[in-house]
Amino acid sequence: MSWMRITGYADKFGVHPGDKIKFYVNCDGPKEYKAEIVKMIHGDTNPRGPGLIEEKIGASCDGTYPGMKQVIYSGSYGFVADKPQFKIESFTLQCWIWPTAPKTHPKYWKHGAQGLVTKWCDGKGYGLFLNEDGCVELRINDEKITTGVQVRDHAWHFVAASYDAETGEAILYHEPQIQYALDPEIPPVTKKVSTKLAYVDGTPTVIAGYCGGLDSSPQAKASVPAGTIIAGHYNGKIDSPRICSKALSRLDIETMKLGGQTGLTERRNSGPSDRLSACIVAAWDFSDGINTIMGKDTGPYLFHAQIVNCPTRAMTGHNFNGHVFDWKSAPEQYGAIHFHDDDVDDARWAVSFEWDVPEGTSSKCYAAKLTSADGDEDYIPFWVVPRVGEEQSKIAFMVPTISYMAYANEHLANNAGGAELLVYRVPIMQQQNMFLSEHREYGGSIYDTHTDGSGLCLSSRLRPILSIRPKYDHFLSQSPWQYPADLHLVYWLEKMGYAYDVITDEDVTYDGLARLENYNVVITGSHPEHNSGPQLDALHNYTQRGGRLMYMGADAWYWVHSYHPAYDGLGRGVITEMRRCESGIRTWRADPGEYYHQGTGELGGMWRYRGRYLHSVAGTGMSSEGFDISTYYSRTEESNDERVAWAFEGIGYDEKLGNFGLVGGGAAGTELDIVDTLLGSPPHTLVVATSAGRHTEAYLLVMEDYGFSQQGIDGTQHPRVRSDIAYHETPNGGACFAFSSIAFCGALPWNNGDNNISKLVGNVVNRFMQDGPLPPPPAAAYVHRGRADYDPPMNKQRK
Amino acid sequence: MIPIPRRNTPDGQRMEKIHKECIDSMKGVAGCSILKCATPGDTTVVTGGIHEDFQLNRVLIRMRAKPPAGKLVVVCTKVEKEWRIARLAGIRGVPPEFVTDKVYDNEQDPQHDIFLMRLDEMPETDGFPEHFRQGWKRHDDQWA
Repeated sequence: MSWMRITGYADKFGVHPGDKIKFYVNCDGPKEYKAEIVKMIHGDTNPRGPGLIEEKIGASCDGTYPGMKQVIYSGSYGFVADKPQFKIESFTLQCWIWPTAPKTHPKYWKHGAQGLVTKWCDGKGYGLFLNEDGCVELRINDEKITTGVQVRDHAWHFVAASYDAETGEAILYHEPQIQYALDPEIPPVTKKVSTKLAYVDGTPTVIAGYCGGLDSSPQAKASVPAGTIIAGHYNGKIDSPRICSKALSRLDIETMKLGGQTGLTERRNSGPSDRLSACIVAAWDFSDGINTIMGKDTGPYLFHAQIVNCPTRAMTGHNFNGHVFDWKSAPEQYGAIHFHDDDVDDARWAVSFEWDVPEGTSSKCYAAKLTSADGDEDYIPFWVVPRVGEEQSKIAFMVPTISYMAYANEHLANNAGGAELLVYRVPIMQQQNMFLSEHREYGGSIYDTHTDGSGLCLSSRLRPILSIRPKYDHFLSQSPWQYPADLHLVYWLEKMGYAYDVITDEDVTYDGLARLENYNVVITGSHPEHNSGPQLDALHNYTQRGGRLMYMGADAWYWVHSYHPAYDGLGRGVITEMRRCESGIRTWRADPGEYYHQGTGELGGMWRYRGRYLHSVAGTGMSSEGFDISTYYSRTEESNDERVAWAFEGIGYDEKLGNFGLVGGGAAGTELDIVDTLLGSPPHTLVVATSAGRHTEAYLLVMEDYGFSQQGIDGTQHPRVRSDIAYHETPNGGACFAFSSIAFCGALPWNNGDNNISKLVGNVVNRFMQDGPLPPPPAAAYVHRGRADYDPPMNKQRK
Repeated sequence: MIPIPRRNTPDGQRMEKIHKECIDSMKGVAGCSILKCATPGDTTVVTGGIHEDFQLNRVLIRMRAKPPAGKLVVVCTKVEKEWRIARLAGIRGVPPEFVTDKVYDNEQDPQHDIFLMRLDEMPETDGFPEHFRQGWKRHDDQWA
């Protein structure tokens, strides 16, 4: 069954009026496809809601375009273009490896030999490989020499090979770093080979792969270098690869581990000794330039390797000693790159069509809708964002694009045994999931593990992201999630007739406060979980200066993200990075010493453990999650406080708030936030409604809130498994309203927007969007409050 | 480990009946739990199911925790219209394969059929020492 014959992406998430946006389309089958720019209003096909709503805008690029198949050449590697110095007669190759999938299942998507350090193509050249059986293999032209010993996965090994063209002697070494009691010895393998090294012109030297051949097809222009197909992608770490132009003794190989030492007055050659310096072709040091996409060569020729598809760097090397955990403090212990066969940094497709966004285009959610006569369809969402200073509205919807990237092309339902435990029902996969399950080259999400099982911590937006689509229900919630769920809010803004702009996480990250300060109110998406530091700074600066923030969801401000600076030349926010460290909701866990981002060098993990509690941003923070069904809220006494009573005008005190909705059937569900003044909620925060006591057993307290595994943490038992709708004032007439549930926005479209959740949100928007500071709270509200001692008796007496 | 009851036992039949009642009551909800909606399709009041039948609750957890290879899932084949049952390959890059020809017109019924299929497929003593395999030594269950 063919699932998605049309897929595509754009060069930008956010585009300014007057600028150009480019679209890249794979149309695998249909001869042509129709493209139309549509304004996206509602993406949920649930028959209980308003259904899909999109509006054609009549863009200049609308039209029919010829279909062309485009493919993604995923899998990371380093390469150096064909150079004569690599075309040697004798050689020594050496490196450290930590393989993660040395032997794969015959049906595995990239089953076969994996290249380690190679100058080899089509039976010509030389290289160190892991063969199909998972054994170290030396190739000299079409001669293959192997130890016959399968390498241990997830363990360091030193591997080396030499070949002396004069004597014909080839020697292969495989030396595991750890020897267990019952491990047989692995003696070096020696073989006489009578062949003269030959080379295929144009063959690059490749680290973590080999040259699979040259391809003149239009699709192959997307490979790097263009038209050269890299095959045999290696899964695992490589540390300190070296190539020398003569066969070295084992002692010299040991000395050569020192690599290309820089010259001094007293030691003027590149290399560990004068004698050995004469034979160095390349000696790469991946500990230098960790935040780049270059593998530095410390040898005499400066054969710096171009690193393609953004493998994971800042990874511990074979010599990691466990005393230093920040690669910036001890880069020499971080000489390893972890390559994966499903890494992808940029699909590099040919442009299919472009749109010059006219000046004056309304700042809204749009998509390029692609259809074929046979019923094929895809959407490429993007957002028209005003330039700073040219805002069109008083309201800004901050589209959580970093979170969209974190969830991009997520594979959990397919990969993770625990996924069904988490959702507490049977996962439902959609055509997007089915397509991705056999197209691993589209890359995964930061929730996934790579195809080798290691954590995926980098996500690019320059590839089709099939989870950022309308008509897409996510397995987590059996309903829209992230992008299509945020369209619930967009529908409501449109239906209620509000004028609003859209801005993205990347705009706020790069522009800071300037991006926010001209709006009276900023409205978040349903699940802005993943955030950069500059973005959180901007939000704090905004609310501290009188800005108003409506936090429409839950589990926000949670993970530390950074955009990889090496990709800034391709646009804003091309690749985002995140590390899952020692706490938080982790579908994988970073290894010791691998907590610091390779791009910015900052400590990854939860903002909470960087001293920035989630609750400090909008008043509430993550308490629990569960994905079976949602429930509703009841008002609390604090909702009658005159500081906030205006929000409930037209809503009865005993009304069930949100016992309906398009996510789990209620407004309180999936992931839930609560007020906690010990975790950063301002002490004057009012809890105006809560879902306490109504959640199912599927809902569990987050692990960062308890110190050891224990019973009693589910929704039928634990008091913190609830959602609190909360309000607090910020200085200078600002305020935050936190609705504290990912399912919340799913209640807004219910009954075409005529419901009590809609009423509540409308009351808040109407107050928050007004010009100037908000009316001050009554004088009696100004009292000293503690954090643990939140409501001292003297305050109660005042009430 | 809680044993997986046989379908033809009183326990198995009771669980099948409760599971079906819960599933039927969830039709129309954008989500699903093995709990019974007091008003069908409305989660305002939910009772019974996993909150009251201890054995059903634990058996479902055992089923949900199975490793990915061979696990049954629902696949939506036409948005909001058709669903089918498939089985995960457990191999990266190999897509799930449909295991029955039955086409469902809602997303809840296949979840009930999968419950029954699992009752049939899982041995009563699943998870006990007689099922020891090498994978136990390298957590191949792939829980989160």
